[in-house]
Amino acid sequence: MKETVKKRFSIGKILMYTFLIIASFISIFPFYWMFVMATRPSAAYNSIPPTMTPGDRLVENFLAVLDKIPFFGAMWNTLVLCAVVTLVVLFISSLAGFAFAKFKFPGKNILFISILLTMIIPPQLGLIPQYYLVAKFGLLDTLFGAMIIFFLNPLGIFLMRQYIGQSVSDELVEAAKLDGCSNFRIFRSIVLPIILPAFATLGIIVFTATWGEFLWQFTVLRDPESYTIQVALSSLNTTNNVDFGMMLSGVFWATIPLVVVFLMFNKLFISSITEGSIK
Amino acid sequence: MTTASIQMIRKEGEKLTTQGKGKYRSEQTKDKISAYLYISPFFIIFAIIGLYPAAFSLYLAFQKWNGLGEMTFVGLQNFSVVLNDPLFWKSVYNTIIIGLMGTAPQIIIGIILAFILNQAFLKFKNTFRAMIFMPYITSMVAVALVFGVFFSNNDTALANYMLNLFGMDSMNWKTHEWGAKIAISVMVFWRWIGYNTIIYLAGLQSIPKDLYEAARIDGANIVQQLRFITIPLLKPFIILTVFFSTVGALQLFTEPTVFLGASAFSRTEAMTVVMYLYRDAFSLQSFGTGSATAIILLVIIIIFSALNTFLTSGIGKKRKEYKA
Amino acid sequence: MKRSNLFWMVGLFFMFGLFLTGCGDDDSASGDGEVTLDFWVFGATNYEDLAKEYEEENPGVKIKVRTAETEEHHNGLFTALSAGSGAPDIAMLEVDQLDRFKDAQDRFANLYDLGAEDVQGKYLDWKWKIGENSDGDFLFGLPTDIGPKAMFYRIDVFEEAGLPTEPTEVEELIQSKEDFMQVGKQIKENTGKPMVDSMEMAYRAIIDGAEQSFFNQEGDLLIENEGNSVKQAYDLAVEMHEQGLVGEYTMWTPEWGNAVNNGDFAVEMGAAWLKGWMMGNAPDAAGKFRVATLPAEFAGNWGGSYISIPDETDHPEEAYAFVEWLVSPESQLKSFQSEAGLFPSSPEVYEMEDFQNTTDEFFGGQSTAQYFAKATEDISFIYKGPDYVSVHNEVLNALENVQQGADAEEEWDAAVERIKGVINR
Repeated sequence: MKETVKKRFSIGKILMYTFLIIASFISIFPFYWMFVMATRPSAAYNSIPPTMTPGDRLVENFLAVLDKIPFFGAMWNTLVLCAVVTLVVLFISSLAGFAFAKFKFPGKNILFISILLTMIIPPQLGLIPQYYLVAKFGLLDTLFGAMIIFFLNPLGIFLMRQYIGQSVSDELVEAAKLDGCSNFRIFRSIVLPIILPAFATLGIIVFTATWGEFLWQFTVLRDPESYTIQVALSSLNTTNNVDFGMMLSGVFWATIPLVVVFLMFNKLFISSITEGSIK
Repeated sequence: MTTASIQMIRKEGEKLTTQGKGKYRSEQTKDKISAYLYISPFFIIFAIIGLYPAAFSLYLAFQKWNGLGEMTFVGLQNFSVVLNDPLFWKSVYNTIIIGLMGTAPQIIIGIILAFILNQAFLKFKNTFRAMIFMPYITSMVAVALVFGVFFSNNDTALANYMLNLFGMDSMNWKTHEWGAKIAISVMVFWRWIGYNTIIYLAGLQSIPKDLYEAARIDGANIVQQLRFITIPLLKPFIILTVFFSTVGALQLFTEPTVFLGASAFSRTEAMTVVMYLYRDAFSLQSFGTGSATAIILLVIIIIFSALNTFLTSGIGKKRKEYKA
Repeated sequence: MKRSNLFWMVGLFFMFGLFLTGCGDDDSASGDGEVTLDFWVFGATNYEDLAKEYEEENPGVKIKVRTAETEEHHNGLFTALSAGSGAPDIAMLEVDQLDRFKDAQDRFANLYDLGAEDVQGKYLDWKWKIGENSDGDFLFGLPTDIGPKAMFYRIDVFEEAGLPTEPTEVEELIQSKEDFMQVGKQIKENTGKPMVDSMEMAYRAIIDGAEQSFFNQEGDLLIENEGNSVKQAYDLAVEMHEQGLVGEYTMWTPEWGNAVNNGDFAVEMGAAWLKGWMMGNAPDAAGKFRVATLPAEFAGNWGGSYISIPDETDHPEEAYAFVEWLVSPESQLKSFQSEAGLFPSSPEVYEMEDFQNTTDEFFGGQSTAQYFAKATEDISFIYKGPDYVSVHNEVLNALENVQQGADAEEEWDAAVERIKGVINR
């Protein structure tokens, strides 16, 4: 920071840094606290002043979790589920986003608005009819049954339309057409490489949103072998158990992989945002 | 497979037409077909799993049904039951209050954060961005558990401990009229602020840097830059987040449900409209009134999103005129 | 180019491949003569262990147990029954929830058709009758455990208050509602601690023993009648609150767990299953609790379950055979002795030597089983009705508000209005 000090040093910058540091702290603190609780016995919840340092039960609490639920199996199921949902959503969204951004066709605006409007149907009420459909298709207890409703992602189409509209120039598309490229070829060879970074953004958003879903998965997956991690974790939280150290240990270890994946893709994720503007 | 094969056929057809005369015209038709084809996956999946539930709910709104027995047609009775229920209006009130407290500050603080994160002088950019976005990747169960303990009812809860430090009395966060609303708003805010910030950041980066450069040469300070360049040009993104926040806030369900736990559907302090309809359907086994509530909610959402979108675009326009 | 090709292929693969492979996954249809039974349970049971034992004794039968939280369990079952597919072969039903499933008589197998009459004599009459429909010709479930209530009291708190601590002495001291209040006042004065943990506990003192609560069997709402039991129970809770005998430890919260562990209040009017919970979750309270019989006015049943067989099952006979075995007196003894501590609904178990000789280290070596067995004698048939859980919650709400300082009568009237709103749907 030293080199920027000189004349450019200003109250504005100090304020901005302070604001950012406070915001980051608030963002991160619950993660730290989750970790603290995951390493302590239940009683640590009720101490005054509140416990702020990690304890020594990191392994013990986690072993208790492993004893109660098929943690790794559930993690694997969740991973598969989220990966497939993410890929399918990227696929559907980028194609549709391309169509909405670069083509003229009758009903375009109405269709686009109707996609956004599908968002406003409260999902909770669809539970029984959707369950009925999934059961009729024989998809109960299958990961496919658990993922199918997440294929509908209006936000994905919206973001892709914005991104393709901005970063793929009309001239490029026109030029390709003049070269005799088919529309699909244009999508595959020109649009896709350009929007790959945007996939990181949408991918992370979809992946994490799917990771956290509970109600639908609980309703559709009844066989412990098909449990996703949220369903498995919820079975830790029964009225007959108030071992919060153990519970938060489960939650903590279920969060870690997500944080790792996020940090891995963070560079790509950020660059997807940055590259969108550098043209 | 179908998409691929249609693609093949189309390629063949395209070879033929390009040789013909009406190239421009066929090009347009081709584009239309492609476009419909490309948006079809969404609509096909929606037709399979989205349309039927929606139609079913519409049908149920005029029936009395407990989920197990016979259905009976009751006309508009479900709507009058819901609209005459004080608890329904309480839930509308709760939803709006929590929505305002949870999402409105996000827009302001989100823009400020994005603005800072977009500054050229900023060090550790990626680290800050990652940290701000982190809350979004936690699952709701995790958030609710952590915040559930943070805002628990006893004196040792962290939130109460902090209140006590400032000389205030402890609060029953899960049963107090405002306590519950504040706690849930904080959860919503915490979880979604990073998400909105990232969307604003994406918007900011589409603003050409030389605009700021020019403004700086004209002697505009940071606040003026924010006001005359950032916000007007960010308008489409603000409208987007306002729309999503409005819809999201009016559909608030998971956060309060998990936070309140066992008492979620019996206490009224933080009962949202969707919780109200879920309670109707699954606790009270009244799918008719539940569906009627959903339809009323739909109307509310349409009104609010239209209103908010209209208001937001209005703000931008005024700015522009002012600027000119 | 290469990247996008890959993407394209992966996309197609998942879109269509999964559509094909996902279908036709029906696990109950196993070809090799083996029968797989899905069994849904909730809360703490030892049924997973018992199922394994049964599998060993009965080759060819496989039992898949799924455990969930009470609310989620019943809602999931409800969704499956409502959609008409996806229900398990065997499902556990909690007694408070049972009545709401009775509307769906056509979705359950009548256990009388499967031979349940032969075992009827082994179970407590009132418990059996609750599992029937109102005509008495359809049996929804076989009885599992029951929740006879007794008084769990802290000897250290009693001692501090200058009271006797031996169960026989305590029973002599507390023989009526008035005695209970008197002791509560003495404890409050001498130790500053409340008698009971929560408003719910105080309210349950009377409601858990009431033969009729909110509804009669014709479905009429009773709570506006003079002297109805809900109002009585409500008034008692309010009275105890006004005398400062009620703590603010809502059950199942961490605060409550902590209070049980530390002895921040004197008495739990708990059911037998509370014992299992305490042993698992309140380690510091070991040796500090004793069990005594409650005064007759407070005797009651809290919780307990049934095992039912949804009609969808392809294997009703096999399912029934397992259920009959699972709730047989011999198995009930095992469930009782397990960590779950499920209290038997078959009086035959009360006569067993192993049952009578069970002593609890946690309760200072006291043999607690007999107190609960004795409590079952004071319990009679209880009718709850399909809306029980919802209307019960409304009263708890009102009581919670009273504890926060609201006016008791106003809260009662408001609760009655809310309850009417609930049942008019």
